[in-house]
Amino acid sequence: MIANFPILLFLVPFVSAVSLPMLGARYPWICRPLALGAVSVSIAVAVANLVTVSHLGAIRYAFGGWAAPLGIEWVDDGLAAVVILTVGVVTWISLVFGGSGPPEARGRVIPYYTLILLLVSGLTGLVFAADLFNVFVFLEVAALTGYALVGASGGRALLSAFRYLVLGSFGASLYLLGVSYLYVATGTLNMADLAQRLPELMSSTAVVSGLIFVFLGLAIKMALVPLHGWLPDAYAHASESVSPILASTVTKVALVAWVRIFYSVVGPGIDVGHVPVLVLLDELGVAAALIGGTLALRQTELKRMFAYGGISHIGLILLGVSLGNATGFAGGVFYLLNDAVMQAALFILAGAAVRHYGARTLQDLSAIQGRAPWMTAGLMIAAVSMIGLPPTGGFFGKWNIILGALQAENYLGVFAVVASTLLTLAYFVKIFASFLGDRPAVDSRGLEIPLSLKVSLAAASAAMIGLGIWSDPIVSFLFEAALLKGL
Amino acid sequence: MSDLLEALLYRPNFIAFVILFLWGFYIMVIHPNLVKKLIGLYIVQTSVILFLVAFSAKTGATVPIVPAEATVVEASNFTNPLPHVLTLTAIVVQVATLGVSLALVLAIYRKYGSLDEDEVRKKI
Repeated sequence: MIANFPILLFLVPFVSAVSLPMLGARYPWICRPLALGAVSVSIAVAVANLVTVSHLGAIRYAFGGWAAPLGIEWVDDGLAAVVILTVGVVTWISLVFGGSGPPEARGRVIPYYTLILLLVSGLTGLVFAADLFNVFVFLEVAALTGYALVGASGGRALLSAFRYLVLGSFGASLYLLGVSYLYVATGTLNMADLAQRLPELMSSTAVVSGLIFVFLGLAIKMALVPLHGWLPDAYAHASESVSPILASTVTKVALVAWVRIFYSVVGPGIDVGHVPVLVLLDELGVAAALIGGTLALRQTELKRMFAYGGISHIGLILLGVSLGNATGFAGGVFYLLNDAVMQAALFILAGAAVRHYGARTLQDLSAIQGRAPWMTAGLMIAAVSMIGLPPTGGFFGKWNIILGALQAENYLGVFAVVASTLLTLAYFVKIFASFLGDRPAVDSRGLEIPLSLKVSLAAASAAMIGLGIWSDPIVSFLFEAALLKGL
Repeated sequence: MSDLLEALLYRPNFIAFVILFLWGFYIMVIHPNLVKKLIGLYIVQTSVILFLVAFSAKTGATVPIVPAEATVVEASNFTNPLPHVLTLTAIVVQVATLGVSLALVLAIYRKYGSLDEDEVRKKI
């Protein structure tokens, strides 16, 4: 049983996704309970898995009983266990809010839940895969559901989804090309096996260009500046039921895949032409954090602002995990967990503002003032966490990244974290300034806040504060179990 | 330089792969027509598959099925099946992508009555 946790975590959402259209066609009421039930079971298994991994160490799952270099292997270590639990929790939060759409969207209930569950199974595979080609397949499973979910909103979202698809598939082709270069040079696709054969081949141009192609492909998927062009349009135009889950999972899990490939295949110590690769990655992270934050400040539409905020946080996480020391790595991974929850909360808030109050831009926000205590409280907590003030998890993630940067004597990194914090503060000041501005004449639309929104906001806020309160045990768990080789 | 040229001329299939990849990328970037962009994307994906097939080709080798009575297996007599398996999977992924993208293009055409990216943007 214990050895089967990874495949169980994949099969629960996958089997539900396949059976949902058949059951849903006959009993339409079953879709929502089935999807929420499947995600709840996944969360329960993920918790059991996390406990097991922290006590017994990593689980290696060999498909069909074929051992690693010949067969396909999944590795379920501390990093995978925490990321998979986070994916489950943010999916649950987003589904509770997202599935409670207006009655006119009811016709799309079956495809909506099916695609979300398929997305979750794709992400699960991506987190566990210890085989480069397996990563490619799950990357595409997750991405295809993402294109379909964005496009299903219709209207402006169609063109955004098309551009997301073209860029995303091009990224996947680059990734596949990189993987085939590595295969030509080494004759293996298994990450542990590659790690043994690569060190003596690092002077080969095929290996170096293969790694660059792999990074470029994943950088498009994780929306790393300057390859982030698809993200703001896709997430801003997607319907409010879809953007929370996409924003909180897809880019982060692609980043996790890169972290796993980088640390378990090449290792942190390598140079390209006397420049350490880690320093290059660091600087890309710094640039993404600063540029993303600056662009967020310029936006007038709420969802676009949060989308750019997410782009800047991807930079911070990449900075943290590429500092080359354990503190920075644990800080980066911890910030990744926080960022997933924060993005879900922010996009739920932005979606609820559109759905219930018709507020799309910052100017419209004042319409909410005084009418939505739940949303105001949720926005306050999300803002505190985004800016990074102590009671929430955002603070401890940034704190550990700064500590790691100081340990690595990377003062540019320290500057980037502080500067991006100030930029975040600036755009939240902008949001609150219009939120507390003069209230227009009250219209009677949607004064009732539905229970589902309250539940998902409460869960997201509790998760953000919980991550702060229990940051100490979580970070020490990351130190013990989630560090990858070479740290 | 002449060494490089010579090495390249011995491997025309790799030159074909590079040309196809860049050609597809060029079509993707230049053409405003959404279907032509998809054709460019398809060429890029196919060129990677061509690369996978090209490096696994072997002269004088046969299918990788070892007869039951064989005691010594000479690896150079058999082709490597793994790149072909990767190719098959990559083709399946490519077909799925193409299906989703054509559905999106169809929806765009029904909604905006045009396949030209600039025109569609004007209407948005």
